[in-house]
Amino acid sequence: MQDSISTRRQLLLQSGGGFALLALSQLLERDSTVRGAEGSQYARGFPVQHHPPRVKRIIQLFMTGGASPMDTYDYKPELERLHGQMLGPKEKPEGFTSPAGAIMKSPFSFAQHGQSGRWVSSVFPEQAKLVDEMAFLMAMTTKTNVHGPGTYMMNSGFLLPGFPCMGAWISYAMGNLTDDLPTFVVLPDSRGLPYNQKGCFSSGFLPPVHEGIVIDATAKPPIPDLFPSDRFAFASRSADHDGLELLARINQQYAEAHRGDDRLDARIASYELAAKMQLSAPPAFDLSQESELTHSSYGLAQPETADFGRRCLLARRLIERGVRFVQVWSGPQGAVNNWDNHGNIEKELPPMAVSVDRPIAALLRDLKARGLDQDTLVIWSTEFGRTPFAQGSVGRDHNGGSFVTWLWGAGIKPGVAHGQSDDWGYQAVENKTWCYDLHATVLHLLGIDHTQLSVRQDGIDRRLTDVHGHVVKEILA
Amino acid sequence: MKDRLPQLLIPLALLGGLSWLSSAMVEADEFSARQLEQFEKQIRPLLLEQCAKCHGRDKQEGGLSLSTRESLLKGGDSGPALVPGKPAESLLIKAVDYLDEPKMPPTGKLPPEKIALLRQWIESGAAWPQNSSLGGGEQSPGDFRVTEKQKQWWAFQPIQDPAVPAVRNVDWPRNELDRFILGKLESAGLSPAPAADRIAWLRRVTYDLTGLPPTPEEVDAFVSDRTERAAEAVVERLLNSQAYGQHWARHWLDVVRYADYHDFNPKLRVASCEITEAWRYRDWVVDAFNRDLPFDQFIVHQIAGDRLPSPSGEEIYPDGLIATTFLSNGVWDRGDADKEKIVSDMADDNIAVIGKAFLGLTLECARCHDHKFDPIATEDYYGLAGIFYSSHILKELGTKGGEYNVNRVPLIGPTALAKRAEQEKRLADINAALAEQDRLHRLQELTAGGSPLVPSAVKSEAGAVAMVGDDAAILFSGNLAKDTYLLEAVVPDSIRVRYLRLEALPDAVLPAGGPGRADDGNFVVSRFSASFVPPDGKTESTPIKFVAAQADFEQANFAAKSSLDDDPKDGWAVSPQIGKPHVAVFEIASDTAIPAGSRLIVSIEQRHADKHALGKLRLSVAETLPTSAPPDTPQRRDLIANRDRLQQELSVPVPLAMAVTDGGTPGGLFPGIQDVPIHIRGSYARLGPVVPRRLPQFLAGENQTAIARGSGRPELAAWVASPHNPLTARVIVNRVWHWHFGEGLVRTPSNFGMLSEPPSHPELLDWLTTRFIEDGWSLKKLHQRIVSSATYRQSSRVSQQAFDVDPENKLIGRFAPRRLEAEAIRDTILLANGQLDPACGGPAGDDFTIRRRSLYVQTARWQRDSYANLFDAANPDASTERRVTSTVAPQALLLLNHPWVHEQARHFAERLERDVPQNDAERIGRAYQLLFGRRPNDVELAIAQAVVASGGWHDLAHVLLCSNELIYID
Repeated sequence: MQDSISTRRQLLLQSGGGFALLALSQLLERDSTVRGAEGSQYARGFPVQHHPPRVKRIIQLFMTGGASPMDTYDYKPELERLHGQMLGPKEKPEGFTSPAGAIMKSPFSFAQHGQSGRWVSSVFPEQAKLVDEMAFLMAMTTKTNVHGPGTYMMNSGFLLPGFPCMGAWISYAMGNLTDDLPTFVVLPDSRGLPYNQKGCFSSGFLPPVHEGIVIDATAKPPIPDLFPSDRFAFASRSADHDGLELLARINQQYAEAHRGDDRLDARIASYELAAKMQLSAPPAFDLSQESELTHSSYGLAQPETADFGRRCLLARRLIERGVRFVQVWSGPQGAVNNWDNHGNIEKELPPMAVSVDRPIAALLRDLKARGLDQDTLVIWSTEFGRTPFAQGSVGRDHNGGSFVTWLWGAGIKPGVAHGQSDDWGYQAVENKTWCYDLHATVLHLLGIDHTQLSVRQDGIDRRLTDVHGHVVKEILA
Repeated sequence: MKDRLPQLLIPLALLGGLSWLSSAMVEADEFSARQLEQFEKQIRPLLLEQCAKCHGRDKQEGGLSLSTRESLLKGGDSGPALVPGKPAESLLIKAVDYLDEPKMPPTGKLPPEKIALLRQWIESGAAWPQNSSLGGGEQSPGDFRVTEKQKQWWAFQPIQDPAVPAVRNVDWPRNELDRFILGKLESAGLSPAPAADRIAWLRRVTYDLTGLPPTPEEVDAFVSDRTERAAEAVVERLLNSQAYGQHWARHWLDVVRYADYHDFNPKLRVASCEITEAWRYRDWVVDAFNRDLPFDQFIVHQIAGDRLPSPSGEEIYPDGLIATTFLSNGVWDRGDADKEKIVSDMADDNIAVIGKAFLGLTLECARCHDHKFDPIATEDYYGLAGIFYSSHILKELGTKGGEYNVNRVPLIGPTALAKRAEQEKRLADINAALAEQDRLHRLQELTAGGSPLVPSAVKSEAGAVAMVGDDAAILFSGNLAKDTYLLEAVVPDSIRVRYLRLEALPDAVLPAGGPGRADDGNFVVSRFSASFVPPDGKTESTPIKFVAAQADFEQANFAAKSSLDDDPKDGWAVSPQIGKPHVAVFEIASDTAIPAGSRLIVSIEQRHADKHALGKLRLSVAETLPTSAPPDTPQRRDLIANRDRLQQELSVPVPLAMAVTDGGTPGGLFPGIQDVPIHIRGSYARLGPVVPRRLPQFLAGENQTAIARGSGRPELAAWVASPHNPLTARVIVNRVWHWHFGEGLVRTPSNFGMLSEPPSHPELLDWLTTRFIEDGWSLKKLHQRIVSSATYRQSSRVSQQAFDVDPENKLIGRFAPRRLEAEAIRDTILLANGQLDPACGGPAGDDFTIRRRSLYVQTARWQRDSYANLFDAANPDASTERRVTSTVAPQALLLLNHPWVHEQARHFAERLERDVPQNDAERIGRAYQLLFGRRPNDVELAIAQAVVASGGWHDLAHVLLCSNELIYID
């Protein structure tokens, strides 16, 4: 790492990094005591560790809108038998957007896959090949049939805004794996943000540093203000040593007069981190460094898979470089381009399925090929399921009663399924799991006892799992 | 750093120390908050998780239930399961130790640390909150009981007026406050820190009271004023500045989860549910601070300002209405398909914010169950909830899936509104009169000149009877249906035909006087067409092409032009101008020449609806179409002048506020003023018994006057703002202390409940609170008392001895340096640049690159990565009692690279050049004075000169803006 500072100076000069930054890297070179970013919240996170962790990093894939279980992973032959019969609730259940129609079978064919014989519909041909590596929660359930609260609940465990999401809790509890990149990165669909917009990635009452950093995978630079704009490139290139000394002196004099105030060191360290990010972030986001084979396996050349595929690949590159938690969203909020298939399952679901199926399979295979599966967890999730009754004649309405989540990777018992919905896939009946249980399990894999990770907020000890949550041991290796 | 640390396990040794108690004798009341907390955090979850399935409310295997402490003591078939204080004798421990049958839990032995927890718990007396069942079951109303410990809690005791303590160092105190501080320091063997230097104090107090740095001129004036009153004068000047209210309003806005908008992007804001008028509340808060509105009144305004009479006797009281935006600018979801939930979330938000902001209580905990720690029952919560369910925040419940509508109230009174309505009516009348003048003028022009066509043949397809009068007008009667008239006439030879005219004429015999035959006198000409046969006898009939059509009057959506197409749905019609003559004029294409003597065949289709046929018409032809303005009569000039004046007066829209008024949510479960039932587990779908609207019983007393009229908000406000309420005045005094010193005397400013940390200086808190109430709840007097103290004047330097004895500065033996808030950093840069726009109030600007104070840069609930957020501004999704201070790389990136910062560096460099055109050393000195309030030393000056020589003033400016001295104050 000895190369770092002189190389950095050179690079900064070339990239028009600006006088001030150059000044700081100089300053830091002279002041070896601030190495390691002591005091910066990125570096300092207190690894909360209640038991040895199985997982160090996480990629969460979130299907916005409520991915239909009975058209993907929850095979319900009973729906074929009862197709067309008016057996649903007579009154419109709370949160349904319209009265329940007739029982509707899935328009897709199902087949069993792998050793585990897991049923998967024809919309997920690629993921179907990997079911033996996944662990399924087949009877997830939630408190709401409404997108906004449902998306909050799956992310923060609460129906209301203002609570930290899982990524923020993990950042808070575990800290970072690298100084060079953010700890919690969100990669939203290029067509827009999910329900609740950035509320889903909020740090709530935790320090703002734990908030998910939203990165537009196509923007340059991907991290805001990474470099000065060209407009100001004129500034500072010719700066010389005197300027560096001034800033060093200003800050040092000030620090000397305020011994014991570690915030001042932290601030100096934060400038070093900024310098590191300038060097590390651009290559992390540069997909051209990946082979053609990788590009094609993630489907980057096909328009239907390019966006999600690019973000899956980016997710792998980021966790590989030490980002702790990456969330990849499929679909924005709103009436189209997501998994909220009210109008026509047969028409609306397949394009969404196609857009994620191959990228997800490629991601899992890629992680495995690189050995990242040894400490990486992948979660596939959505905010709720859909009704076994038709909405209109061929769509499905929201249904919090039962939906599917799967986990893959480190610490997971491969090929298992936990929980069961009723014969229609309407309500979870056996081994029901809530977001609390999913969150408790994820924290458990990270070495954290979810009941012990709490923060006092206005006199209440708040947890990600509120007062609930059980680790789902049945799906753990 | 002041992060919140995760709540760590309470060392078990602390609990072990209690085991000497003869535990069986311990009353539930006697358990400490810490023991109960331990139970809640560790034992209850453990029992619930491991045991409750088989030994709970639903199932009691072996006759054993762990539902209550009593049921454990009673035990099951094998005898008592629990002997408090004696783990070895407790069956529970024997079972989990797996030493003997039964081995519990049967699925596998518990990990040793869990067994140790249970053992410790029993050893220390098996703490269990009173009247609490293990869980899974529902509590029945009436279970709730206030414990002795709660009754004794300091914050619920009346406010005292303690004697000012005696101190040894009698020279140090500047006022009584100092004696309380010094007393504690002396007891700990410490002395206060020496006084800060004058510049440090001036910077401190100026930032503290205004959020801005002192200008170099203010520094000079203060440093050279050696009089006794110099400091006092500074404080007076600052408290009387507009900037004081702007800065202190921001503190308050943190507490009340204030936002300017939901959506950051102006284009995406949805008018109905957007909190567009929130800024009026912010401006009111600024104004209230600036005029030192007594804080008790400040409270009453916010909870029930809509019910306050206007102090000046006006019909309405705008400030009162605006202040209630405190309630309506809250945090709830937009509801989507579940609108009822918004209503219960709104009531919850209101209860929560009132609890936290004014009372320092977490009232909202009692939404789903009795408060676990504080004396607040679920019934108390729903007594309060009824008050907010009876208040009107949404216009109506709204439709599922749709947006909700915020209730907006006009800020002008009934008289002004009536006057406005009258003005609007007059304007409409004038516009109608002018339009009628225009129409008559047009009618006259469109019918001037030309020649009427005397029909040679008239045919009605529906079989109506046509009578042609002397004036060439044709009156239709008889059969009435969708009809097409065919008329023939010979073109007179005196005229070159450029226009065909269709006059629709009134007649007394027609319904409503005509000109149509429909019941209301209207008609619709769905298609008007014509052809001609030249007189040569050789040529066939030629269709006439029309290029334009106009009329003296056209009914909305029924223009004459639409009768030129084939669509039967539209056409020319004249409602409501019934009983009057009208004319439509059709312009013939210029390449169509109709020779004199031609036979003209005109078709008038009226296929829009039955009966909508013309009753009386006349055809004519014309060569020209005069156009002129209506004659300019004095009467018309009058009308126009009146119209313009009225339009001007009405052009200012009626000011609105997001005010809360009495009445529930129309269309919802609770549409009016009513008591509400307990919501079991907080769900509106599972309702329990109704609770009358009332105040919390322990806190407000058993004997409350029933809320007889209205929502009950005035009654609630009066109780909250009462000098006898033990919480309210203490809470605000502590907040003010917190904002001055960075830590409160109670270090949990929004929670004075049983889980809070008791005050470091309880006597001082009470003494200050008593003076505050005596001073008429004046915040400015409180500020004066605090900032003029020797305590506030202390330096931030700390001796090793003081640091060792009091590392957290709980005794306040020094001043705690702090980082500027996001707003102050930005405002400082703008002020130093000379760029700060002093404009006050009004809607917030869109982003931080505007030049106004940061208070006026929008805070949007759905945008969390703004500049302000990066520097730890409050999250408007929840009441914020304190800002955290984070120091992260993205802040450095912003200051280094954001175009705005570069712009500011440029402005700063330019300002320096303007201020000091010639002398470099002087100019550098000016930079230091503007930013740091001091002059550079010789070394700094020399280096700065060298920087300027090589990198220019922009670089120097930029480096100084990035420096620590700018953003940390002593």
